[in-house]
Amino acid sequence: MTSTAETPPPLSPVATLLESSLKDIGIPPRPTILDRISREMAKEDPDYKRLGNVIGADVSLSASLIKTANSPFFGFRNRVRTIHEALMMLGLDVASQAIAGIILRKVFPNSLHLERFWDASARVARLSGWLAQHVGNNRLRPDDAYTFGLFRDCGIPVLLKRFPGYEKILAQANAEEQRSFTAVEETQLPTNHAMVGCLLAQSWWLPEEVCLAIRHHHDAAILETPAISPPPASRYRIAVTQFAEHLVQRHSGLSHTCEWPKLGTACLRLLDVTEAEVDAILAEAVTVMTTEE
Amino acid sequence: MRANGIDPTTGFLDRGSCLELVGRLAAGTNASGQRLAALWIDLSRLKQVNESFGHLGGDLVITQIAQRLREKSAGRGEWCRMGGDEFVCLIPNCDADHARQLAQDLLQTIEAPLRFGELFLHPSASIGIAILEANEDPFAFLERADRAMSTAKRQGGGRAVASGEEPMPGRLGILLAREELAIENKLHLALENGGLSLHYQPIVGFDGRIEAVEALMRCTADGELISPVKFIPVAEKTGLIIRLGEWSLLAGARYASELDSAGYRTKVAVNISRAQLASPAFPQALHAALLCANVSPELIELELTESLFMDISETVQTNLHAARAAGVGLAIDDFGTGYSCLANLKDIPATKLKLDRAFVVVLPHDRRAFAVVKAMTQLGRELGMTVVAEGVEEQAQLDALREAGVDAIQGYIHARPMPEEALLNWFQQRSSS
Repeated sequence: MTSTAETPPPLSPVATLLESSLKDIGIPPRPTILDRISREMAKEDPDYKRLGNVIGADVSLSASLIKTANSPFFGFRNRVRTIHEALMMLGLDVASQAIAGIILRKVFPNSLHLERFWDASARVARLSGWLAQHVGNNRLRPDDAYTFGLFRDCGIPVLLKRFPGYEKILAQANAEEQRSFTAVEETQLPTNHAMVGCLLAQSWWLPEEVCLAIRHHHDAAILETPAISPPPASRYRIAVTQFAEHLVQRHSGLSHTCEWPKLGTACLRLLDVTEAEVDAILAEAVTVMTTEE
Repeated sequence: MRANGIDPTTGFLDRGSCLELVGRLAAGTNASGQRLAALWIDLSRLKQVNESFGHLGGDLVITQIAQRLREKSAGRGEWCRMGGDEFVCLIPNCDADHARQLAQDLLQTIEAPLRFGELFLHPSASIGIAILEANEDPFAFLERADRAMSTAKRQGGGRAVASGEEPMPGRLGILLAREELAIENKLHLALENGGLSLHYQPIVGFDGRIEAVEALMRCTADGELISPVKFIPVAEKTGLIIRLGEWSLLAGARYASELDSAGYRTKVAVNISRAQLASPAFPQALHAALLCANVSPELIELELTESLFMDISETVQTNLHAARAAGVGLAIDDFGTGYSCLANLKDIPATKLKLDRAFVVVLPHDRRAFAVVKAMTQLGRELGMTVVAEGVEEQAQLDALREAGVDAIQGYIHARPMPEEALLNWFQQRSSS
């Protein structure tokens, strides 16, 4: 049997041996499609058509990628219609992160009733992408803000899967007004969702600043004091998504978390936004939120 | 008047005030016949800090280093900031020997790691020394200190050179610094493009059991394999070692879990850096890795280099106990040659002692080495540890180690480090034979 570019090579006996065990691994392994893209990116002359065919084989992935490429914050004048166009317009590195974000949602078992969680993440991510263009003096690319929004809380589904009582801990952390979110988690767990999420992102080879932003996204001290680590690129990501979450909550009238009182001032300072400007930004953001629903 | 001539970040005199001061001091020195010394200090790596972390990061480094310089010189001399990362210290009544001594002290104080959150920065500097000559032009005097500093920098930095002692300028220093930067960039590339992998070397007990497999990091960037001998020191200098260490902990733990599921329940030993263990977030990171890998903690062993024991801080001590409480094993690597201190040994909750290869290579002929190995093995046993010998290549060495009472052997005599699939094949072959 010869293997073509479109059919994966037959599994070696060792790989078959490992296949069943992969299901029991705590965090989802890096999707193989991302490896294909990295390999193509490493080439001097990446073959977009071949990659398009590989991605195109998965109908729902293709549909989601085209939808992502048509998000208003990418600002493409013409609507993207095919995977090939999406790859060309986005470029492989952006496409790769967008695909990682799409797959992230699919790799967790449906049994966890995570629909609402992922919907909320997607809403914050989209608004983060929009905000990146409107505040913070363009220090963050909209697609970077968007991907970070999708991955920021990816530790949560991992912990839900592993600890039956995590839902309760989550509720307590969400309601906590004084201590940091992760401090509440650590009263009952030996770790926290930010650390777990950072490791997941790292094992998917996401950029360093994304991993560090995930790790520190509840850390007020990190946002307030200029320090060498995490780098500014991480801190902007944290600030933009936190601001987006706040606007989403103000718009819906439902505050699921108490993070804004703890982190808001530092986030606005990082983004060069004054308290007085927040209402005007919200008014503009509302149109984005409602058209995207 | 002077308030305007002060650098706001450091509180030192600024360039203008420095030039004015050197004129005055030189005039006074020439009149009194005393000596005046100038140290010209250039901090390295600051440009990278600025590029990576913005000027706020750079300023933070400058402020802390200025503080150290002020404390170390203890009121002797006037401090000036000449520009971004350059300082001058003017010391009246100071001869060449004193100046050199002070320069060495300053280098030492500058090189202590600076902590930023979980990262450590390892600053270093080059210092040029000049002593004012009779009736010398004060600016020419400063220029000599500056030139001597450039020489120190060309020689690779981290040293002091006195004016007039400069050897012929060489290019080696420059090349070395460039190579380090290139490796640092490659490490970043590897971290984001899947360029890291682990190879595993089995540790086999004298009873035939696989005691553990040690995970050894491999790093590829731009299709080129970078030797650990080259990338580990750079990773340690830049703080990247924490990220590399966390990556390998997770990857090793996942592999332990895979091996277990495949029916080969074996401990995986992962190397842990000093920087990782010194981080207050270490227990959370360790637990996150165990959880993400879905592995039983008893299948994980952390290998600690002996240099860790030079200075065991409270955080390190807490973290070591947290690791044991989590059920993870602790192995002391390269034992017996470096900083091992028996007093420390009793305080560290280690489960395994790995004897340095230096003892193994001279076996079986060196009977004194044999006696030391035997005694160390006895000691490890008494402390409840498993004792392993590293770097075993020959049958005669193996026999001697068996005689000394060592529990298990790591080395080419059993197997070389190999990638994941090859190790699985190795296991399969062993179990079928």
